[in-house]
Amino acid sequence: MDFDFSVVTDHWRFLASGVGITLLLSVVSGLTSLVAGLVVALLRLYGPRPLRLVVVLYIDSMRAIPVLVVLVWSFFALPILTGLTMPPFVAALVGLTVHLAAYAAEIVRAGIESVRPGQTRAALALGMSRAQIVRRIILPQAIVRMLPAFGSLLSITIKDTAIASVIAVPELMRQSETLAGQSFQPIEVYTFAMLVYFVILFPVTRGVDMFYQRVAHLGRS
Amino acid sequence: MTFDWSVVWQHRDALIAGTATTILLTVATMAIAVPCGIAVAILRLYGWAPVRALAAAYVEFFRNLPLILVVFWAFYVLPILTGLGLPPLATGLAALALNVTAYNAETFRAGINSIRRGQVEAAMALGMNRVQALRRVVVPQALRRILPVLASTWVSLFKDTSLVSVIAVTELAYVAMQIRAQSFRVLEMLTAMAAIYWLLGYPQAKLVDWIQRRFAVTE
Repeated sequence: MDFDFSVVTDHWRFLASGVGITLLLSVVSGLTSLVAGLVVALLRLYGPRPLRLVVVLYIDSMRAIPVLVVLVWSFFALPILTGLTMPPFVAALVGLTVHLAAYAAEIVRAGIESVRPGQTRAALALGMSRAQIVRRIILPQAIVRMLPAFGSLLSITIKDTAIASVIAVPELMRQSETLAGQSFQPIEVYTFAMLVYFVILFPVTRGVDMFYQRVAHLGRS
Repeated sequence: MTFDWSVVWQHRDALIAGTATTILLTVATMAIAVPCGIAVAILRLYGWAPVRALAAAYVEFFRNLPLILVVFWAFYVLPILTGLGLPPLATGLAALALNVTAYNAETFRAGINSIRRGQVEAAMALGMNRVQALRRVVVPQALRRILPVLASTWVSLFKDTSLVSVIAVTELAYVAMQIRAQSFRVLEMLTAMAAIYWLLGYPQAKLVDWIQRRFAVTE
């Protein structure tokens, strides 16, 4: 067994473009699922009753279906249904957002529900409106408490972008597959890809933990 | 646009077989990953210092990698490492087990750590030795706290088994996508695949919610 990692250094530009797409897809789908998740959570908590039931069904369905299935469905089946063809990157963004927004919504809901109801009653007694209470009493505390969960969701997002390789998004996983296939050196290429993913993910999980340690006191009540 | 849903019924035998493999993979992975997770957690908590560091490195490494990459890696590296031509199912099982063991180890460690030191000290003051204190005081309480986390790991694992389709393990996702490629009934097959996962996964997700309510920790 001898390994030759020159295949990685020779094609570093090709792999680096994959890292770029991985990071871009992670950041964009992280943001879209955050926003969508906040909306979904608010609908679940404060929406009219029939809408609440639909939202609960959506969230639980996404907890039941693999992200691979959602991605493949939005790339191959959605265009047949709508007549709209999406490039792989957009399809991946849509699929990941639809999937991850459900998780983000559950995090937001747990955060909001962790603020004791006594605080809402006290704010009502002081004459605040419901919107004021959510904005000025609940969210400032809830957001801090949601941070650790959002940190792990971010690392899940980065890991899930690798599954977008199945629908040919040219991110790191896909580029590694291509390079491994062409160079016949899968071990070197995949081992290198593992290191890159670890180097991206480890600081993210650690960084969020450290940041939370510093701001945790803001979420106490 | 015309849809022909009969294609799903025509391939029912293959879909059922694929579903069975998916369930088998989930059960087998958990059966490996629970004892291995306990072992890694104990090594990490009570082991000799270098072993502790090694266990921690293993856990951190596999928790920070996309599973699909581990699957590919196992597919190419395991045959060279072991010298055996492993079938895809065994390779997929190994990759899933490596991943879930790391998560379980972290779960067990957190569970054991969540029991206050004072309880072990009290047990020792009552004349128990370390092993007795662990077995009779710490573990029964830790199990209650671990169960909800294990349940959600179970559901994640059930969904993650779909990723071993990339190395041609004939589980549900692979079978459905094969039929799609042969029959060109893309929407029908992909929707059927999603529906089967939903039918199996939805009750599991609900069960997890129930377990979480039932075993909620109140101190």
